[in-house]
Amino acid sequence: MAAESEALSPVADEPRLVARARRGDREAFAALVERYADQAFAVVYGFLQHVEDSEDLVHDGFIRALERIDSLEPGSSFGAWFYRLLVNAALNRRKYLARRRMDDVPMTAAARESPAIDSERAELRRRLAWALGKLPAELETIVILHDLEGFTPPEIARVLEIPEGTCRSHLSRARRILRDLLEEYQHHG
Amino acid sequence: MVETGGDRPIEGLEALKAPQRSDAQRRAANERILASAELPLARRRQPTSSWEVLAAWGRPGLVAASIALAILAGSLQPWRAWQQEPSQPVVLEEVIRGAGESEGVPAMLVAYSEPDLDAVAAAALLDRNGNGSVIPETVEQR
Repeated sequence: MAAESEALSPVADEPRLVARARRGDREAFAALVERYADQAFAVVYGFLQHVEDSEDLVHDGFIRALERIDSLEPGSSFGAWFYRLLVNAALNRRKYLARRRMDDVPMTAAARESPAIDSERAELRRRLAWALGKLPAELETIVILHDLEGFTPPEIARVLEIPEGTCRSHLSRARRILRDLLEEYQHHG
Repeated sequence: MVETGGDRPIEGLEALKAPQRSDAQRRAANERILASAELPLARRRQPTSSWEVLAAWGRPGLVAASIALAILAGSLQPWRAWQQEPSQPVVLEEVIRGAGESEGVPAMLVAYSEPDLDAVAAAALLDRNGNGSVIPETVEQR
């Protein structure tokens, strides 16, 4: 079982920060950015596999969150709400990019972004990215949040608004499908 | 416990992890976010005037008023129809005169009493001559 993460542990006085950000307080909003930006970048990178695209999406995500912050129910977690918004945006963005590139492999950034990476590692990334991209969106999100970013099942359940048990069974199913896909990739290249 | 393949993470998955960013990169990214947030934050700082509140309520208010009017008009319709029903029996002569003057399809007439046969004959004559004269023009001309 994964260790308890701090992905969604709120910053001190988070409800008050959110309330202040609602009223346009720059310091409060900066504190939320400081708290969530790094992890948000890591989560989005899990989907897009591209540094600049991920930074752009996190940037847009924070601005969108600020614009919609009134819809966040008082007392509910800013983090869970924000990650939900980001995950949806990342999935949409990737769909858009994949259509634009007319590419079956959604994340071709491995080769594009890091020429220094040796070819074996690039091939591993390509293979994993291909298999992840083949998963249904919810299963893929669970794998990225849990296996890549260390979110716990209760945290993922809060982000995706699903029961914790469903999250665990989805994770198990996703891993089984991923293994099958990777085997298929190995055999058929 | 039976190993199903779903209990442990995929080997090598960490290859997809985000690269470590330097402090300078992180700071630059956060500053870019805060710079873009200036305008929406400033908008939030502006006090909302009572006129803006009223304007915000204006449209839903109009819609609600229209719906209320439509419901009121709908509920009044049967009452008005009931009010317009004739409470006095129609005088047969008036109806016959009306039917003779108009060129439209004669109305189905209903009366409280049996029709006067003379009146019916007169109506038939009027209907045949069309212009209301009992003696046909051709006879008069001759």
